Amino acid sequence: MTKVNFEWKSMSIPRREFLKTTTAAGALAASGVGFSSSASAAGGTLKTRTYADMRSLDPAFSQGVVDELIQAPIYSKLVQYKPGREWGWKKDAAAMVEQVDDTHIKFALRDDQGFNNGFGAMTAEDVKYSFERHTDEELGGTNGPDMGALDHVEVTGEREGTIVLKNAFQPLWSITLPYITGNIISKKAWEGAGGKISTTAITASGPYMHKSWVSKQKSTLVANPDWKGEKAAFDEIQIFHIDDEKSAEIAFEAGELDFTRVSLGSVERLRTDRPADSTLDEFPSLYYAWVGMNVDNEKLSNKKLRQAIQHAIDVPSIMEAAYFGAAKPSTGIIAPGLSGHREKSLVSPEQNLDKAMALLEESGAGGSNITLDILNKSANVTAAQVIQANLAQIGLNLEIRLHEGATFWSLGDETAGDQWKNVELILNRYSMTPDPYYATSWFTCDQVGGWNWERICSPEFDELHAAGQSEGDPVKRDAIYQRAQDIMEETGAYKFLTHEATPVIYRNSIAPGLRPDGLQLLRDYSPA
Amino acid sequence: MLTFITKRIGLALAIAALSVTLLFIIIHLIPGDPARTMLGPKATPELIAEIQARMGLDKTLPHQILIFFGNMLQGDLGMDIFSNRPVATIVFEQLPHTLALIFSAIAWSATLGIFLGCFSAVRRNSLADRLTGILAVSFIAAPAFVIALYSLLLFAVELKWFPAIGAGTPGDIGDIIWHLVLPSFAIGLSWVGYIARLVRASMLEILGEGHVRTARAFGLPEKWITYRYALKLAILPTVTVIGVGMGFLLSAAVFAEIVFSRPGLGKLVIDSISTRNYPVVMGSVLVSTILFVASTTLSDIVNAILDPRIRQAK
Amino acid sequence: MADTENTKTRGEFAEIIYHLVRDPLGCTGFVIVTAFVFIALFADFIVPYDPIGLNIKDRLQGPSAAHLMGTDQLGRDTLSRVMMGSRVALQVALPTIGGAMFIGILLGMIAGFGSRTVDNAIVLFFDTIRSFPTVMFALAVVALVGPSLTTVIFVIMMTSIPTYGRVVRTQTLSLRNSEFILAERSLGASVARILGVHILPNVMGPLAVLAAMDIPTVIGLEAGLSFLGMGVKPPTPSWGSILNDGYSLIRNTPWIIVAGGIPLILTTLGFTFLGEALRDVVDPKLRGTK
Repeated sequence: MTKVNFEWKSMSIPRREFLKTTTAAGALAASGVGFSSSASAAGGTLKTRTYADMRSLDPAFSQGVVDELIQAPIYSKLVQYKPGREWGWKKDAAAMVEQVDDTHIKFALRDDQGFNNGFGAMTAEDVKYSFERHTDEELGGTNGPDMGALDHVEVTGEREGTIVLKNAFQPLWSITLPYITGNIISKKAWEGAGGKISTTAITASGPYMHKSWVSKQKSTLVANPDWKGEKAAFDEIQIFHIDDEKSAEIAFEAGELDFTRVSLGSVERLRTDRPADSTLDEFPSLYYAWVGMNVDNEKLSNKKLRQAIQHAIDVPSIMEAAYFGAAKPSTGIIAPGLSGHREKSLVSPEQNLDKAMALLEESGAGGSNITLDILNKSANVTAAQVIQANLAQIGLNLEIRLHEGATFWSLGDETAGDQWKNVELILNRYSMTPDPYYATSWFTCDQVGGWNWERICSPEFDELHAAGQSEGDPVKRDAIYQRAQDIMEETGAYKFLTHEATPVIYRNSIAPGLRPDGLQLLRDYSPA
Repeated sequence: MLTFITKRIGLALAIAALSVTLLFIIIHLIPGDPARTMLGPKATPELIAEIQARMGLDKTLPHQILIFFGNMLQGDLGMDIFSNRPVATIVFEQLPHTLALIFSAIAWSATLGIFLGCFSAVRRNSLADRLTGILAVSFIAAPAFVIALYSLLLFAVELKWFPAIGAGTPGDIGDIIWHLVLPSFAIGLSWVGYIARLVRASMLEILGEGHVRTARAFGLPEKWITYRYALKLAILPTVTVIGVGMGFLLSAAVFAEIVFSRPGLGKLVIDSISTRNYPVVMGSVLVSTILFVASTTLSDIVNAILDPRIRQAK
Repeated sequence: MADTENTKTRGEFAEIIYHLVRDPLGCTGFVIVTAFVFIALFADFIVPYDPIGLNIKDRLQGPSAAHLMGTDQLGRDTLSRVMMGSRVALQVALPTIGGAMFIGILLGMIAGFGSRTVDNAIVLFFDTIRSFPTVMFALAVVALVGPSLTTVIFVIMMTSIPTYGRVVRTQTLSLRNSEFILAERSLGASVARILGVHILPNVMGPLAVLAAMDIPTVIGLEAGLSFLGMGVKPPTPSWGSILNDGYSLIRNTPWIIVAGGIPLILTTLGFTFLGEALRDVVDPKLRGTK
């Protein structure tokens, strides 16, 4: 994996000049779905895999990566992520989209966009409905925060409108519009269904439509016959819901899948030993894993002790044992490729035993018994045992406490009881979207007792987080988020581990369309 | 007879109701919040409260239990808060996979077990009988999940003879059976042992009984006596054992479903407990408890019909 | 062979051992079980490596002269971990069986000797426990109090109580109306005396057999629950957690699963053989049919 510091290409260009090129419909069609390569032998079936079951076909109730994977090919958006190794976006249903000022974005829809099953052309009214329902508290959707800055959508013509924001919001272009909340649905269809749908599709506006879903097994998409853009590359896409990576690898080797993410543990083997007609590709990932320390806990309120732990943990060993050498140590919570990524962390990833011993001496907490809470996943258990051995080297006795999802995710939650007081060390991992604002959101003072389990409250950090959201200058934005991560590390409450990696394997008969972090963009898949 | 059956069914209902209530209480004492699990690191306090209210978690425990039983009597097991689908639908989607697994395991293990049992009984105290006996005991002892792991490793991963995961393409019978082979083998193996021993013992008992001796005295061929007469009687206790064994089979199925990543009731329960998806946990445990209680009750009743001594004892 | 019941000269224990060793299966079982107990007790002294010592450089090796069963993802010696794992198996089996037997005897006697209502209530309790599929019950309890060895012991104990309770109840029921008990009662013997002096010794034989046959189930269950991550805390090795490691590494190396499964199968076999042989000795009527 080469470490190139990608920039959010589309965003560094002054937006006023950007995308003013409203041209003939033909040329636009090409920009809409034109990235599906030179799909020579269109047709056939694509068999791919997601790591969990589908939960909803309604964007307002979509639950992250898995649902979006299925919804993205069904519903069009104003803009879509561009497949490739660098972050960026391309127009989809929008013929024109332009940021007029910090809080106003004008758009015009293409005139060939519509909904199948007789729900007619796509209008600005549909866009308004689709976007505003995310912030409708009565509906109680799960994706409101991504649309958080939206005030309203103003309809100025049948296919034209303006998105009006409450405040400047940089992530609009990297998260809000090209991801879950950007899906445009049919107002008429949804209102007819009572305002929301669950797992049965009623209409599609993209190149594919949802045909069927067998719970815990698979979802099937077929080409949408009413789609006016470039013909869908496959007649049918079968998306298998297989949670276990190993099982998916076995299925791939048995020819039951054309594409799957594989486990880090298999990368070494798959590099040399894999089905002859397949390709192994490795992508960086945005996830961030770290060891956190609860500063409001009696023992861990001792800063020297926290720093001793920071220096005692040997990240390279964790990379070897838990990630099979297929992931690299991270420098913070913002992955390479995003603005705000740091080249180096303040505390080196390698263990520094002398320093750790010295700090422990100063702390006066030598020989303490400490607990580490982890989610019960095999990589975590392995990593925890390395940390246990690392801390034993400086005479700290670590007890590993395993949790299932539901208990783990409420550990630091004040509304769920007093258990947060007993949290000492936590091995944690948060998911991430391609904008640094998303990473810093969870470590503010507001989030103490929510998702900020280290319970660090730094006014300077909060100011930086607020400023970063609206800062338009990429260089300044970079500096803001770098400083924010420095603050985190200086508190001694964080030892950053890794951003992991996304290794994928696919048959040479297909050309997958993937985001820079290896996530699937099914619209952009094609037969090779 | 009718009184016995009525009483037995009444008892079964009491057991089912009691165990479901107990489980309901246990599960609701568990710390952990489904709303947070569902929403992940995006949850806002308002959203969490909203979802808790939707699940009825803001009510008292007895109130929740009453609501649960009330709805249950109307065939409503509640809604899965994650997918917004009726729990009954979800459970009955998974149930056939588990039933197929359990019944295929019973089918093959009973066939082989009865055969081995007869074989031993006929060749009583021979070397073959001894060996079969040892084999049977060894099978009984083998923990199902270790057999599952070994067969996965050997037949799926190393030899690649059978598929390693899943339940096969819906509708494709051949494929479904193909996917059943290994898990069914794993959970059926110990039953071969049980049934073989049971059949052997009851056949020996029957073969030693007076009327069989009489039949022999009349010069009926030994083979005829063995297979037409004794075997028929010897199979009956087997039916009972299978009825009682439903609980073990269900537990073994949980492991088989995990090891082979098969859909099914066991996997559903595990997934939903770890996400605190209460309605689904309750629904699926309810169905498996009913399955178990129904099969033991049925086998008790069948037993009572066949053997009047039991009826009088109660 | 019927005379065994009356020979008290060599002592009952010696008698039992004598018969066990004469039976080839019993002998095999006895040897395996002894080896298992020996390894469990002295694991500290006989393991070739530190079972929790990390050596990441040497991770995921196959069997070799240095590591007879290979190493795991942290470079720990699998053989040493398997040997140490026998200790957990024993640690769970003994208190579980002991506790379940104790409560089972108590409840079984109360049910057998008590009023009809008490009897019915206890039988209902037994049936209710049995009607939970064990694994699902375990999952719920573990989720409630967190994974630990104590939790596993508690769960397995709870689910084993009916096994013992039912046997004791049946025995008590059949004995309570026997002539010598009725005679004792008419002479004014207390219930406690009758239970302790007459009934208890009569149920101990069948219970011992039951216990020996139950140990494999208990050990298998412990391994199963640890396999699901409900038992021991890392880095303590148990056969189940070793199998779990092996399962997640099945694509990297087959040896961890192989190594974790063998002792489990051997021990369950050993106890089952021993239990069978023990039953033949304790219940001589059955010996002829073997």
